[in-house]
Amino acid sequence: MGTDIFDKFKYPKSGHTQRVGCHTGYADIGSSSEKKTMIGAGVKVEGQITSDEDLFFEGSLEGTILAINHEVLIGKSGHLKANITAGVVRIEGTVKGDISGVEQVVISKTGNVHGNIQSPRVTLEDGAKFKGSIEMDPGDQVVLPVTPLSNVKSHQVGSKAS
Amino acid sequence: MTSGLCESLQSNLLAAIFETLPIDKRLVVLDMGAAMSSTVNFFNKFKCRLSFADLYAGDFVVHPCGEGTHSERVSQFQHHLNLPAGTKIDICLFWDLFGYLDGPTLMALIEALDPHVSSDTLGYGIGVRSADMPLPFFQYGIERSTQLSQANRGGIQPKRYPRSQRDLHHLLDYFEIAKCRLLADGRVEYLLIENRHHDTKPQLNF
Repeated sequence: MGTDIFDKFKYPKSGHTQRVGCHTGYADIGSSSEKKTMIGAGVKVEGQITSDEDLFFEGSLEGTILAINHEVLIGKSGHLKANITAGVVRIEGTVKGDISGVEQVVISKTGNVHGNIQSPRVTLEDGAKFKGSIEMDPGDQVVLPVTPLSNVKSHQVGSKAS
Repeated sequence: MTSGLCESLQSNLLAAIFETLPIDKRLVVLDMGAAMSSTVNFFNKFKCRLSFADLYAGDFVVHPCGEGTHSERVSQFQHHLNLPAGTKIDICLFWDLFGYLDGPTLMALIEALDPHVSSDTLGYGIGVRSADMPLPFFQYGIERSTQLSQANRGGIQPKRYPRSQRDLHHLLDYFEIAKCRLLADGRVEYLLIENRHHDTKPQLNF
């Protein structure tokens, strides 16, 4: 794919970004009202991430990501055993779990997903690996939030982080 | 998995499946192969549940004559297919899987599918015109209702089980080969219908 909504993570021009566990490879980003959070490859999370801004996740997670009305990008080094609910979800790494996209779910050519997907529109790029079921309904913009994994801690990131 | 080198393959039978389906129906589609980008894109137009079983990647194809009883093989298929109880399949895309399963394994698969097959279920398969024709090691997808995509799977081709249409018909039990058409390179495509209820056959337009 060419330039898309996620390129702003990689080639940021402006915007305030909260970086968690950042490491080499991420550019510093200026400040503006546009907010996004990066979680680096060296970060391991167990629990639920609730984000009210776009999220670029390169780390490891066992739990749940909730980012309703926002975009979640799981980078190439991202390794998740988690359910994800977001406005748009793009997977470049590995995810074992269910994915719910309010608008769209994209599994890129490097992505590897084992689970069920629910979204009005799903794109599987050439080279992507997927095992599971896809529930598609182009006529309705509905989303059924995934059930958070039980017994998980809650981690807040983004502007509402505590 | 999808491959970068996809070719197109004309289909004369696939369109008949979609012509018989109610437009507003939520489809349940079971693809026995690997997830292909073309198939996902195609079904984006439909309200549907699209499941990829990729039986080619399991032990069913590599070691079709494995240990175990018939009932154990049926259970293995049911576990792998992971279809929710009560699910009825509208479209079952077998692709060329029949050519890679030995008789007992194929019969176990058909039995495992039994609870999920209704009189409305339609199947699509690919085989060879005669037993001495080569079966290319392809994975398939749907580009349009009249056009498939095919890509080389790579790796070592598993043992093949070429069969006549009559032998295949016997193994498919409650499925009936309703129509057969020639494809490129000595292959044929099959349209399958359920034949347990002869008086409620779907009306197919060819």
